[in-house]
Amino acid sequence: MNLDTATGRNKGIEPGIERPGRKNGRKFIYLSLAPVLLLFGVFAFLPIGWSLGLSVFKYNPLSGSALFVGADNYIRMLGDSVFLKSLWVTFKFVIIAVMVNIIITLMIAVAIQRIRSGWLRSLMRTLFFLPTIAPLAGTAIVWSTMFNFNHGLFNILLDKMHMAPIQWLSDPHYALYSVIMMTLWADIGYNIVLFIAGLDSIPEMYYEAAILDGASRWHIFKDITLPLLRRSMLFISVTTVVSYFQAFAQFQIMTKGEPFNETRVLALHIYEQAFSNSNMGYASAMATVFLMIILVVTLLQLKWGRTEWEY
Amino acid sequence: MRIIKLCSVFAIICTIFAITGCANDSKADSSPSSSQGKVKLVFWSHQEDAFMNAYKKVISDYEALHPDVSIDYQTFPYDVYNQKLKASFSAKSPPDIAEMFGTWVPEYSKNGLLAEIPGSEQLQTEYYEAPLGGYTLNGKLYGLPLEFNIENGGMLIHPEMLKEHGIANPPATWDELVADAKLLTVRDGKRIKVKGFDFVSGDNITFTFLSMILQQNGKYWGEDDHVNFQTPEAQKAMSALTDLVANDKVADLTTFGGELDTSDYFFQGRSAMTYRGPWTVAAGLNTYKVKDFEYVPVPSFTTNPPSFSAESGWGIVASEKSKQQKAAVDFITYMSSNDNLLAWNQSTFTVPAKKAVAENPEFLKSNPYMKTSLDILQLGKWIGPIADRDFFFKTINDHFQLMATGQEAVEKGLQNIEKTINESQDQHK
Repeated sequence: MNLDTATGRNKGIEPGIERPGRKNGRKFIYLSLAPVLLLFGVFAFLPIGWSLGLSVFKYNPLSGSALFVGADNYIRMLGDSVFLKSLWVTFKFVIIAVMVNIIITLMIAVAIQRIRSGWLRSLMRTLFFLPTIAPLAGTAIVWSTMFNFNHGLFNILLDKMHMAPIQWLSDPHYALYSVIMMTLWADIGYNIVLFIAGLDSIPEMYYEAAILDGASRWHIFKDITLPLLRRSMLFISVTTVVSYFQAFAQFQIMTKGEPFNETRVLALHIYEQAFSNSNMGYASAMATVFLMIILVVTLLQLKWGRTEWEY
Repeated sequence: MRIIKLCSVFAIICTIFAITGCANDSKADSSPSSSQGKVKLVFWSHQEDAFMNAYKKVISDYEALHPDVSIDYQTFPYDVYNQKLKASFSAKSPPDIAEMFGTWVPEYSKNGLLAEIPGSEQLQTEYYEAPLGGYTLNGKLYGLPLEFNIENGGMLIHPEMLKEHGIANPPATWDELVADAKLLTVRDGKRIKVKGFDFVSGDNITFTFLSMILQQNGKYWGEDDHVNFQTPEAQKAMSALTDLVANDKVADLTTFGGELDTSDYFFQGRSAMTYRGPWTVAAGLNTYKVKDFEYVPVPSFTTNPPSFSAESGWGIVASEKSKQQKAAVDFITYMSSNDNLLAWNQSTFTVPAKKAVAENPEFLKSNPYMKTSLDILQLGKWIGPIADRDFFFKTINDHFQLMATGQEAVEKGLQNIEKTINESQDQHK
């Protein structure tokens, strides 16, 4: 090995010639990033910092003055049964909705990928993606009418099957599942497209080799498709978990956290504490805890889902 | 270098946009303006057809009498109205005139956000005590109520259902009420098909509970604006109320928090007696087009008179920040004249807060269903200094459901209600 060549290559560029270029390059990078960083700073980092600061104050926006209370807002959370309930409801919603979402979207994506006809494949992809384009608030209103006890579509169908009608949104046993159902319908299109992209990127040679070895469809899916989809799966699960943790519109429109607080997710509880109950400091403390929870969950997902290979 | 210059310019433009966007733009807010010599007032209210039509009529009359004043009337859905008001006052860009629920007013008046209405002493003699409570601070008035919000004292009944069960007259005592309700309840397996006495609504659980305490000569306010629900009167009231669901089984929780009001279920024939305010009569007559019902007195829980807890109801306030405060207060005074209030109460089917309007025979003639409520107005007591109305009612409702379903003992439930509400009261000090 000729080390001189390697070291000589580094010495080949005179410092006097290199420095101005690097300096200008750095300036260009900083200035290019400045507008984006400024927007992020003003509209993302500053509110987070502001919220962190507010969380140690008792602050009613109507009074205009804030009282420093230290960690009181955080201590209060431990004894706040509604906060603890909303935390539980949030986790329940995220776990169920994310799991069902990933299973359904993966199955649909695999099914769509098997379609040989190009136009039919595009049509199916478009059809499943359509609900994602619709505004969530509008979708929530439409689904509320479908869940209506007296004249809703679902109870009409139950009636046709001679079954008792259900209080879809006001029975504590069904309310959360009703909202999950609506969320899945509105949201699966995005993940289907991502899974199809992931499936398309798996090299065909692995499947050919498996078929030559006589592997069954199930073994091909379990031992080739799933492991090679791990990167896509990690991205999809992280973005879906974060998105479902922040779910708000469907709960605000369809149930407002009722009945019995069974659909009171944390985002809704924080909003109500801040803007209905004027407890801005307490709401900020809850938002801080919520931020930490999402951060920890995401870091764990990234750690457990990390892959060390490429194909 | 050109790229660097362009980037610098872009960064400066972004900074300017961010700073101007975050700055308080006094011209863009909803504060009044004087254009072309005209005084422009902004008036906000919640959305409800009858209310909106009544406001539009008063505004149009006022503008005809005052050609130099123009009122920009803006409405918002009830679900977001409270938040919208709070945001506008917090951002120091409130409307000149706002419709406010009486129980919301103290939070604004104690923070100096509302204009004082002149002539407090005289006005206090012209209105009933309960509806004026929320608008009064240190003996001064910060707005005027348009209605007496009364959810207690009267109930909707189906006389035919009573007759079918051999009940000749509406109940005269609480025991009779419970006995009749049991008779009137129709079951379909485990479910209740027709409720005997439905009181399970967002407003009526709390109002009935508080009124039952008052009817035992009890009190529910302690010191320092804290509630006290550890009294024998509170225990007895809550036990009786939860018994109606748990033991007497004359009502259930299946429709609580649903899309429809308890009065809707009543007019659909799914309850025989429903505890609700007289304002619900309008829905029966206009929406359901039914007339086979009556609005009758609810007997007292004890042998004492049926005194009841009541709120200030909807009223109007003027912003202290308004640049046209004088004109805004003048509009409130105009709207609160006897003639205008009479027309407003008649068209919105609300109970008058002003004595002269309530005592005007013309009012009863146009709204005969109001007789029950008008007869007991003197017995109304102001609900008290509730810091956060929605939170107060929600806390009682949440625990009521737990107690009624046996998930929480009455004693423990009342302790939890008291603790939670008092924490909220302290948060707003």
